[in-house]
Amino acid sequence: MAQVIIQGFLLSGLYALIAVGFTMIFSVGRVLNLAYGVYIMLGGYVYYVAVQILSLPKFPSFLLAGLAGIVFGVLTYLVLVKRFEKDPIAVEISTLILAVVMQAVIVLIFSTAPRSMWPLIPGRFEVFGVSILKNILFATAVSWVVLGSLMVFIHKTHIGRAIRAVSMDAKGAAVSGIDPQRINLVTWALSGVLGAIAGVFFATYTQLDPGMWVFPLITAVAVVIVGGIGSIIGSLIAAHIIGFMEVATTTWISADLRGVFTMALIIVVLVVAPKGLLGKAEL
Amino acid sequence: MFSLPLFLSTGTLRIFVMANFLAIFAMSWDALSGRTGYISFGHPFLIGIAGYTTAMLTYHLGVPLYLSIPAAVVVTMIGGTLFFLPALRIRGTYFALVTLAFMEIMYHLTQVIAPKVTGGTRGLSGLPEMVSGAIPNYYLTCSVMLLIGIGLWLLIRTGLGTALSAIGVDEEAVKSSGLNTNRIKLFIFTISAMIAGIGGALYVHYLGSIAPRALFDINFLFSILVAALVGGAGTIVGPIMGAYFLTFLLEYLRPYIPGAGRFVLYGVITLVVYYFAPKGLYSIFSSLRQRLSGKAGTG
Amino acid sequence: MGTNRMTFFSIMATAAVFMAGVLCSPVTMAAKDPVVVGYIGSFDSDTGKSTIRGAEIAIEELNAAGGVLGGRQIKLVKADTREDVTEGIKAYEYLAETEKVDFIISGSIDDVSLSWLPRMAEYKIPTLDTWTSYVGIIDMVVNEYDKYKMYFMNVACDYALATLYVDFGKDILADKMGWKTTVVLQEDTAFGGGVFELVDQMLAPEAGIEIIDHIVYDTNTVDFSPIFSKAAESKPDFIYLISSVRSQVPSSQYVKLQVPVPMTGINVAAFGKDFWNDTGQMGGGTSTLSPIPSVGFAMDDRTKAFVEKYEAKYGNSRPIFPHFNGFNAYYGMYNAFNAAERAGGFAPLDAWVTEMENEDLKIYKDGKLWLRYGFWKPGEIEPRTNREYTHNIKFDITQPLDDGAPSMVVIQWYEDGSTAVVYPEKYATGEFGVPSWIK
Repeated sequence: MAQVIIQGFLLSGLYALIAVGFTMIFSVGRVLNLAYGVYIMLGGYVYYVAVQILSLPKFPSFLLAGLAGIVFGVLTYLVLVKRFEKDPIAVEISTLILAVVMQAVIVLIFSTAPRSMWPLIPGRFEVFGVSILKNILFATAVSWVVLGSLMVFIHKTHIGRAIRAVSMDAKGAAVSGIDPQRINLVTWALSGVLGAIAGVFFATYTQLDPGMWVFPLITAVAVVIVGGIGSIIGSLIAAHIIGFMEVATTTWISADLRGVFTMALIIVVLVVAPKGLLGKAEL
Repeated sequence: MFSLPLFLSTGTLRIFVMANFLAIFAMSWDALSGRTGYISFGHPFLIGIAGYTTAMLTYHLGVPLYLSIPAAVVVTMIGGTLFFLPALRIRGTYFALVTLAFMEIMYHLTQVIAPKVTGGTRGLSGLPEMVSGAIPNYYLTCSVMLLIGIGLWLLIRTGLGTALSAIGVDEEAVKSSGLNTNRIKLFIFTISAMIAGIGGALYVHYLGSIAPRALFDINFLFSILVAALVGGAGTIVGPIMGAYFLTFLLEYLRPYIPGAGRFVLYGVITLVVYYFAPKGLYSIFSSLRQRLSGKAGTG
Repeated sequence: MGTNRMTFFSIMATAAVFMAGVLCSPVTMAAKDPVVVGYIGSFDSDTGKSTIRGAEIAIEELNAAGGVLGGRQIKLVKADTREDVTEGIKAYEYLAETEKVDFIISGSIDDVSLSWLPRMAEYKIPTLDTWTSYVGIIDMVVNEYDKYKMYFMNVACDYALATLYVDFGKDILADKMGWKTTVVLQEDTAFGGGVFELVDQMLAPEAGIEIIDHIVYDTNTVDFSPIFSKAAESKPDFIYLISSVRSQVPSSQYVKLQVPVPMTGINVAAFGKDFWNDTGQMGGGTSTLSPIPSVGFAMDDRTKAFVEKYEAKYGNSRPIFPHFNGFNAYYGMYNAFNAAERAGGFAPLDAWVTEMENEDLKIYKDGKLWLRYGFWKPGEIEPRTNREYTHNIKFDITQPLDDGAPSMVVIQWYEDGSTAVVYPEKYATGEFGVPSWIK
C-alpha cells in the first residue's frame, strides 16, 4: 500500500510537470497545440546532445534545453498560430503536421534507435521498503516548485494577471489596454520552456525516441480535460488522479490496462462533466 | 479516367488505388467534420471496426465477401453510432478529443481482448481479395469512389448541405429556427460511418491483412485529416484532390530521397501548402477557374 | 552524314534491337541486363541498415567476381517501409511493379512482413526475410505451401528460439544457479504473448522452474517501479523479461532501481553493439537470448572477413557492428544466387524454390560445424518439437547441437561494457553472471 501511495505521488508529479505547459496554451489560447509534445521531445534531445555528446555540465545544458523550448514555442506561435488565428481547427491541423515533420527530422538526425539518458541525479534510496529513484523525486519536487511559482506568477505579477485576463476574455482584455498579441507570445514561450523542462525529466526517466511526443501529449490532454480549463490547481489534482490511477491499476489490477483507464476517464469527463473538475470556462 | 490504364504502368495504378481509398476515407471524414465543425479524430476507429468485422468473418468463419462486407458496414454504422451518440453533445475540440480517446482505447482493446480472434498485435494476414491485380482494383476503387462522391454531392445539394454549414457556423441559431439539429447530426453521422464502413471493409480486403497499428494509428488519422483539409474541407472534390495530392507526393519522392528525408520533405511541402491555402487546394482551383472564366467572359 | 540521317538510322537501329528483344523468348535476356534485387524494410533503423549493408557487401563480392547468371551484374534497389504496415505494402508494390525486381531481400519487422506477405503470394517474387521470426508465417508456408513457397526465413523462428532458451533455463539457471521460481514480465504485444505461451508450457516440465507470477505491461509504461515492486514481492529467484518494443526502458530502469532480483530473458535492444552507448553505459548485468551471430560471438574466418569489410565500409555510422540479420542477409544472398545459378534464374520459380531448399552452406570453425545456412524442406520434421519448419533456417535445437547452428545463444553484457556468449557451452566465451548489486 505504501508502494502505491509513494509511487503514485511521484508519477503524478512528473505528469503534472508535463501537463502544466499544455494547460497554459489550452487555457489562454483555447487551441489544441498538437505540437506540444515536440517541446518535450526537443528538450530531451537537446539536453542529451549537450550532456552526453558535447559533455557540457548539467545546468547549462538544462538552460539550453529550456532555450530550445522557448525558441520553438515562439516560432510555433509566430509562424502557425498567428496565421490561423481565427481558425482553431487550422491551428490543430498545422501543429499536427508540424509534429509529424519534427518526428521525421529527429529520425533523420538520430535514426530510429532509442537512447537512454543518464539521470539528472543518479542513485536511489529506500523509504518504507519502497525503492525510489532520486531522479523522479527531483522531478516531482521541481514540478511542485514550478507549479507554485506559476501560481504566484499568474496571480501576483502584472503579466500574469494580464494572461489571466486574456484567458477569460480576450476582447475585454484588449479593451482594458492589454495587448493580446504580446500576451500570447509570452504564453507560448512559457509553454515551450515548461515543455522542454518536463521533457528533460521525462526523457531521463524513460528514453529518447522519435515517437516520444505522442504519449506526453495525450497525458497532458487528459490532465487538462479532467482538471478543467483555466485551472492550474485543477491540473495538479487531475495529474494526481491519473497518476495514482495508473499505479493502482498496474499494481492491483493488471499492468496492461494502464492506459485504458485514462482514456475512459477522458471520455466520461467529457460526456458527463465537460468543464472538468475546476474548469472556469464553457466549451 | 477509365482509359488511364492504357497509358500508365501498373505501378502507378497501384498508387491510384491507394489514393482512391484515402479519398473515400477523406470524404467520409469531410461529410461529418467538413462543414459542421465537429472535428472527428475517431474515423480510424470507424474504419477499424469495419475492417476487423469483415476480416474476422472471412478469416475465421469463411463468410463470403458479398456478405461480410455489407455486414461490416452495418456493424460500423451501429457500433459507431452507439459510441459517438453521447459524444455529439460536445462540440469542436472536445469532440475531437473524445473521438481520439475512443481510437486509443480500441487500439489497446484489440490487442488485449480475445487476441486469438482479432489477431492481437500482429493482426491477421492472408485475407481474401475482392479482385486481384492492379487494373481490376483500379477500376473497382475508382467506381466506388466516384459513386460515393456523386452520392454525397446529390445529398449535399438538398437542404442538408446548407443545414450542415449552418450548424458549423452557429448551432444554437439553427436550433432556434426549428430544425432538429440532433436528427441532422445523427443522419450525417450515419452517412459518414457508412462511407467509412464501405471504405474500411474494401480496404482491408485490398491489403490482404489487418493489424491494429495500420488502422488505429495517429499517422493514419493524420493522412485522412490532412487529405481532407489540404484538399478543401466542406467540398466533395476537395478531399479527393487532397488524397491524390498526398499519396502521389509521397510516392513521387520515393526514388529521389531515401528514408526519413523523404518524409520530412513530404511533411514540409504539405505544411507549406496548407499555410498558403488553408481553404484547400480546391479553393485554389475554383478561384483560378473563376478568374479564367471571368477573363474569357470579358474577352 | 547529316543529323537527320543519323537520327533516322539510330531510330531504325533502336527499333530493330527493340523488335529483336521483343521477339526473343522471355527467359533468355540480353547478357548485359542487370539482375535486380529489391530491399524491403526500414531505412533508418539499425535493423534495416544491417540487412541493407549485409546485402550490399554480398552484391559487391558477387559483382567483383564477374557477376551472376552469365556475367550479369547485380543491382540493388530499395524501398522504405518506415516500419509501417501500410508503407510495407506500398513498398512491395513499388519493387514489384515499378522496379520489376527478380528477388527481394527483406529486413522488415514481423508485422510489416505479415502485411506484404499477401502481395508476395500474388506477385510470386522469391523473398528472403532476415529479421522477422514469427512462427505463424512459417506455419503459413507449411499449411499452404503452394501459395507461399517463394518465402524463406533465415533467422530461427521464435518457437525455436524459445525452445532452446528453455535448455538455458535448465542447464544454467536451474542446475548451475539453483533457481526454481520466476516471475515473467511480458510486454503487451503479440510477440510477448506468443513467447510467453511457449515458456509457460515448457519451463516447468523441462527446466523445473515454476512461474509464480505473470505480469503483462503496456509498452508505453513510463514508470516501472510499481511493476518491479510487484515482481519482487513474490520473491522469485529471477525475473524473466520478454521485451521487444522500447526494451531499453525496463532494462535501464532495472539498473537504475537496482532491483534486487536477477533478470534475464529477451531484450531486443541488447542485440547490438550500440546498446552500450544507447543506455548511457548502464546496460551492464543484462543478459538476453539472441539470434546468431550475435555480439560476443566467436567467429569463423569467413564471417570475420565479412565483419572486417563491414567495419571498413560502415564502421563510422551506426550500427557499428552488424546485427544478426546483417549476417543473414550476407549469407542469404549467396544462398539465393547459388540456387538461381542452378535453376537458371529466379523466374523459373519452382526450380528456384527446389534449389533454394537444397542450399546448405556449412561453415566450420576449428573443425566443428559452427554456422549453417540451409533450410528445412517440406515434410521434414524437427525431432524435438515434432513440427515442420518449412523454409526456416536449418537450426538445431536437440542436444548435442552439432547438426547445424543453434537457434540462439544467450549473451551477457557485463558492467564494463564487454559482452560474451554464455550458452550453449559449445559457443560460450564467458560466464553467466548477475549484476554486482545483487548479493
